[in-house]
Amino acid sequence: MGIVEEAHNLKVLGSGDRLIVLAHGFGTDQSVWKHLVPHLVDDFRVVLYDNMGAGTTNPDYFDFSRYATLEGYAFDLLAILEELRVDSCIFVGHSVSAMVGAIASISRPDLFSKIIMISGSPRYLNDVDYYGGFEQEDLDQLFDAMGANYKAWCSGFAPLAVGGDMESVAVQEFSRTLFNMRPDIALSVAQTIFQSDMRQILSLVSVPCHILQSVKDLAVPLVVSEYLHQNLGCESIVEVMTSDGHLPQLSSPDIVIPVLLKHIRYDISTA
Amino acid sequence: MYCSLPLVAYAMAGASSRVHFHDIPDVVLTTIFSLVSKTRTRNAMSLVCLKWLALERSTRKSLTLRGNIRDLFLLPTCFRAVTDLDLSFVSPWGYPFFDSFSNPHLLAQFLRHAFPSVVSLVVYVRNNSISTLHHLAPQWPNLRHVKLVRWHRRLPTAPIGSDLVSLFEHCRTLSSLDVSHFYCWPEDLSLGIQAYPSIAASLSHLNILKHSSTEGFKSRELLAITSSCPNLRKLLATCEFDPRFVGYVGDQTLLAIASNCPHLSLLHLVDTTSESGIRPDLNHEGYTSEDACICHATLGDVFARLPLLEELVLDVCHNVWGTWPALELLNSKCPRLKSLKLGHFHGICRGIVSRPDGIVLCRGLQSLSIKNSADLTDHSLISISRGCHILSKFEILGCKGITATGMRIFTHNLRKTLVDVKISYCKSLDAVSSLQALEPIRDRIERLHIDCVWEENSLKKKYKSSSSTTWTNIQHLSLWIAAGESLAPLSFAGIDDCPALEEIRIKVEGNCRDKARPSTNAFGLRCLTVIPRLSRMMLDCSGVTGYAHTAPAGKTDLSLWERFFLSGIQELKIDELDYWTAQDVDMNRRSLFLPAAALLAQCGSLRKLFIHGTANEHLMMFLVGNPFLRDAQLRLNYYPAPDDDTSTKMRVDSCFRFEEALGSSSRHVPD
Repeated sequence: MGIVEEAHNLKVLGSGDRLIVLAHGFGTDQSVWKHLVPHLVDDFRVVLYDNMGAGTTNPDYFDFSRYATLEGYAFDLLAILEELRVDSCIFVGHSVSAMVGAIASISRPDLFSKIIMISGSPRYLNDVDYYGGFEQEDLDQLFDAMGANYKAWCSGFAPLAVGGDMESVAVQEFSRTLFNMRPDIALSVAQTIFQSDMRQILSLVSVPCHILQSVKDLAVPLVVSEYLHQNLGCESIVEVMTSDGHLPQLSSPDIVIPVLLKHIRYDISTA
Repeated sequence: MYCSLPLVAYAMAGASSRVHFHDIPDVVLTTIFSLVSKTRTRNAMSLVCLKWLALERSTRKSLTLRGNIRDLFLLPTCFRAVTDLDLSFVSPWGYPFFDSFSNPHLLAQFLRHAFPSVVSLVVYVRNNSISTLHHLAPQWPNLRHVKLVRWHRRLPTAPIGSDLVSLFEHCRTLSSLDVSHFYCWPEDLSLGIQAYPSIAASLSHLNILKHSSTEGFKSRELLAITSSCPNLRKLLATCEFDPRFVGYVGDQTLLAIASNCPHLSLLHLVDTTSESGIRPDLNHEGYTSEDACICHATLGDVFARLPLLEELVLDVCHNVWGTWPALELLNSKCPRLKSLKLGHFHGICRGIVSRPDGIVLCRGLQSLSIKNSADLTDHSLISISRGCHILSKFEILGCKGITATGMRIFTHNLRKTLVDVKISYCKSLDAVSSLQALEPIRDRIERLHIDCVWEENSLKKKYKSSSSTTWTNIQHLSLWIAAGESLAPLSFAGIDDCPALEEIRIKVEGNCRDKARPSTNAFGLRCLTVIPRLSRMMLDCSGVTGYAHTAPAGKTDLSLWERFFLSGIQELKIDELDYWTAQDVDMNRRSLFLPAAALLAQCGSLRKLFIHGTANEHLMMFLVGNPFLRDAQLRLNYYPAPDDDTSTKMRVDSCFRFEEALGSSSRHVPD
């Protein structure tokens, strides 16, 4: 088994002409796609992998400097595509992985026929004239809790803070899965995510993007999808699903799967 | 049997001051050693001198193999006297035994070489690709007892009966088979039994309960099996008593089973809904909507055909009416009967003091369990205590008509013999009143189960009466508690001093999805620090359901509940813990979260930890810091155990890294 395959728990299932890559968001692992995969394996080859730092990967492989920015994860994705000798794929990215896919597609647009972004956002922190959904004060509490967990873990005490302790419901929603990562990795990943600002690179994306999100996702306000639609360099289409929450493929598969399948099967009309 | 060696030595020394332990003839020493069953004691004995080492090894009859499958070549070869071998706990738990070996046949032979005398085997059989039994069974052709374990799904493509055929083909002297934790289809078993009639005819013990699925055996399947196995002495099976289902078991089936197997000493039939875990509403009348097709007259005939019966369980889960005549016949036709468990049997005793009837006449009973007997009254209960006058074990579940008054007179009447009591989901018996009712046997009782249902008034009353209550002999305490409730009232509910208590089991049940955050910080494990000898705990949160990752806004995650349940565990001095994680039913996920790993890592006295659920590698690595921990394993013994593909199961490599870290020589485990 190649090192890439083993490190990322890479799996290729199903059969078909076209290839779909499913990329999970942080704090979870490829099992978030469990409801979707059975619908795809008959018609597509499906590639599943775990991001470095996910609970199912070897924590020793987490290179803090490599993954200080999202580019590190984009390099991983490209390495996987190269290992599998993929020449073109449909990329489905959840949450932060949606941006990872976008970054990867800028350097290698030939590898991606389309990108489907589920609950993706270019920037989470609010800015002048930009509403990302999170205020600095909300994030302060998050980083305090993660810092406390990290200190406790280093000193042999019990890291006990969990997402549910956060006051801000938006932070709760987004961070609950992050708290399950190893405390040092969780802190680093949280910093990476909330410091990242992908707004500038959106115009460089040349691959068609399908933007999907829940109507009520505290971590991704509706205006974010609209922002993505307006600012992505390529053609894009937005669909707001009646689902709830940041992990709609798990919490409301009945709503999400038909929509996902539709966007996988059909392309954006250029008429 | 636990034998105190110093006592023997002392006794010897008493006879003459110059007698030494080594003057005892070898034959006697061997007998003494073979009576010792505790593994830690045996390990200590084997360190005394070479002679004792040899003696211990030659008398060790049973062994459970732990350790990682990759290290199987390091198998110890000094345990050649072992007759009972358990291979089902090798790490990674539930892994296909021979999958990682290029030469499975060689390994099987190595196992045989290390354990040549095995006659009883427990093994996890994952799937048929490289069939475990195909390689193992030929190594021990003299096997008499086999227990197969499988909690993973049976592959639909596997040929019917293939596992059992591999077994029967090579083990012709098999007399006892246990597939109660083995997920298979009824056809697998039927085919196996029919293909090997000589083995079927010599089977004396067959356990086909279905703990690992929700199905049961149909009537014709049971009849086919019992007619092929006429020499059965013990039969345990799960079946369907609901007459609305095709293949239901009614009294005609029971009659036929009794005719087919007249030598039965143990008959244990349980309905498929018995272990569904759904607690009936306490206010419910107690009768099910459907009746079983069992009439008391035919029941009497069934009993008449089983004269050797010693232990009977009929957990029907559907109404059986007016059963007192049948129970009287049970007493007269089955004189050896010692243990009885009945579920949904109504009219077991009419409670007329002057004319004892029904179950009251079963005077030889030592163990009685009454489940959901809706018309059982205090009078009946008291009559039972007079009739069944040597009862040592009693369970009463879901009987609405029993009150603390009746229960107290019951225990008073049986105070010379009763040592094991379980009181559960009886409407009028909350925790405090149950404990008060047991006051007559407070100094005798050894095993107890109560539900931690706290009623405000009775707690206040108890708190006022300041006398301390000592439960001198209690060794095992089992509690049930609803999710969200606190254990804290236990300390003043009437069970505060338990000097001999070593083992506690706590089962938590409830749906947390819609519950608000728990109001207190902790469930209350801390209150158990007052129990001086507590060393083993089983904390079963498998009945707690909630959201793992997908809690809607404002709802609480399971990680928070986990912290609630486990807070305080770091203050307990337990050395062995079994923990069943809560589950997210939508995702079939039972996993450990950060708070549990963190809190368990603080529980410094732990030597053994078994988690019944999945966990990520980094969370398990928290435990490597526990100074005394030498055995930790994830056991997914719930159905269906998740397969590899898309779950957060600890990967094989993760398991290996964790166990390597745990076993590494840089950890100096003090004892």
